[in-house]
Amino acid sequence: MWKQVYAWLDERLGLNDLYTNLLDRPEPKTSWWNTLGSASMFLFILQGFTGIFLTVYYTPSPDHAYDSINYIMEGVAFGWLIRGIHHWGATLMVLVVFIHMLRVFYTASFKYPRELTWLIGIGLFLTTLGMGFTGYLLPWNQKSYWATTVGTQIAGTVPFVGEFILKALRGGPDLSALTLQRFFSAHIWIIPAILAALIGVHLYLIIKHGESHWPKKED
Amino acid sequence: MDEQTKKQINERYERELDKGERFWPDSIFKDVVMAVGIFILLILLASFVGIPFEPKADPSDTSYIPRPEWYFLFLFKFLALYGQLPLIGKIEWLATVLIPTVALGALTLLPFIEKSPNRHYSKRVLPITIMSVMVVGIILLTMMSEVPTIAEDGSKLLGTLQTVVGIFIPVAAYVLLYVFKNNNRLMIWTASLSSVAMILISGVVLSLAPAKEIEETLVAATLPDQIVAGQDLYSLHCTECHGDDGSVAIIEGVEGLEGEKITPINSRDVLYTITDSAMGEVIAYGRPNAGMPPFGKTYGGELTRSEMDYIIIFMRYMWDDRFEAPEIKPLFPPLADGEVPSYDVHIQPIAKRYCISCHREGKDNNNYLMTSYDEILTTGDNADHNVIAGDENSYLLQVVKHQAIMNPDNPNEEMIGVMPPNKTLSADILDALTRWILNGMPQTAEDAAALSTPAP
Repeated sequence: MWKQVYAWLDERLGLNDLYTNLLDRPEPKTSWWNTLGSASMFLFILQGFTGIFLTVYYTPSPDHAYDSINYIMEGVAFGWLIRGIHHWGATLMVLVVFIHMLRVFYTASFKYPRELTWLIGIGLFLTTLGMGFTGYLLPWNQKSYWATTVGTQIAGTVPFVGEFILKALRGGPDLSALTLQRFFSAHIWIIPAILAALIGVHLYLIIKHGESHWPKKED
Repeated sequence: MDEQTKKQINERYERELDKGERFWPDSIFKDVVMAVGIFILLILLASFVGIPFEPKADPSDTSYIPRPEWYFLFLFKFLALYGQLPLIGKIEWLATVLIPTVALGALTLLPFIEKSPNRHYSKRVLPITIMSVMVVGIILLTMMSEVPTIAEDGSKLLGTLQTVVGIFIPVAAYVLLYVFKNNNRLMIWTASLSSVAMILISGVVLSLAPAKEIEETLVAATLPDQIVAGQDLYSLHCTECHGDDGSVAIIEGVEGLEGEKITPINSRDVLYTITDSAMGEVIAYGRPNAGMPPFGKTYGGELTRSEMDYIIIFMRYMWDDRFEAPEIKPLFPPLADGEVPSYDVHIQPIAKRYCISCHREGKDNNNYLMTSYDEILTTGDNADHNVIAGDENSYLLQVVKHQAIMNPDNPNEEMIGVMPPNKTLSADILDALTRWILNGMPQTAEDAAALSTPAP
């Protein structure tokens, strides 16, 4: 019975092909350092899930953002856990992505034929930082408010276009409801969409070229 | 890269694959173990470390020291140190734009900069040593991010040492590494020695750094905490004019506002028609025409956004009949027979709620301040009579029991009016104050326990 169902699905979905092409592949001997990439992706998915839960209660307005976070922490069942995982997950994701990049650098895994994988990886690193930067403002507390103030100020020192960048980031000369709204939108739609697309390309390239082997004397 | 090298690399990889493992299940197994480990770590962090509570954003609080996210701290510190450099330190965009862009650009274009096909460490000492010095610098700058560049006494020693760690040594190391690029041994020595020097100097900086001041801010997380915080703030800032239950319609006993007619703020007229945000504006900006001063920091008052929010929450839950107040802890734990109250546990909350609104710096109060234990015992024009151990005729006890103190020289003139002016304290509070004074005003709970007679 199950065999028939599987055969029916396989005819239509190509499950066996998927298995041979995606999973049953040869790999060079890997070490624990090679798990950092998948760990980053796991953290991204975890951040996605906990983030979606948080948007159920979070309100992106200066009047209510702080109280809604307070409610998540105190009023919602296991809200503290979901937000705790999201909060610490963000910190860990930046760390893991950074260490993953260092690992690739030290083992020279970015060399032929994996140059594009590295470029996409830099994009992933920057978008991860972007997620951290935009997410930090959302609780609308003193720490986040002033961190965003200095962060956007630094962006405003770019010669000629600094003023424009500053206003584009803040939605005006000062931090306001507009800033919170656009950081929220960037945090839950724009940057995750870019991040997910880049992860897709990154994964495709990894499957295409295989994991690089640990460099030996002869390499 | 010519076709020959590419072919070599691909053949080399094929040989590694032959000696290797399967993606499923070998590699996946490690990935899953790692993911589960991370998940458990996150649950532990969320459960046992948690997220510190922060007060609400307050754009008017310019005294707040802004700090970026922790992973930008190194850049923030680098900018601060760079700003100290003579001459080029003034050109801000060099450090905020040019240097990060060049660094990031080099990192991005790495595969096209380091073009040799060699992968083993021994054949790429230059890039590895440069990156290592950079990573050491980033870690050390992050660790030193809290240390000020100019000490409070104006000494620039710490700032100079930090600049040495964050700028001079790394720059010197990069130059030397480039000079020695054909000599592996010299490059390794350069990188190791400069890293050790950087670590040692940062150790000195961190040990010399002034202890971090922990700033206490009032943050109430749960509703009962917020209501209590609001009540304390209300008692301090609002009671004088509005009365402790908000019912005052004609202000009495406040200099400059004597006889002023106001709307009782506990009335439905106020509570049903004014929204929270409008109420916040009134507290922040005051009502200049009606004599109410501004309380928000933005307008020169003392209250932050969070604090005004607590006051509004208190008003809603206490007076607005559409709100149902949660259970709130009593002001102080009830006293058993023979138990002696202490300042820390019982008297301080009483004073905070009912007395210090007027009995603090800058109010008309015969110079009697009540914000601390020592002040209650020693300040005031009548310091000798206010609080006398074991004496039921202490002025403080008389006035709270609504017996005004008459001027000894002129028996018809009230020297000290009844306290609090428009309210009678409840019996348990009067009892606590009486027992406290009759038993010699113990300060700590231990002192009080020593004086208590155990209930039979």
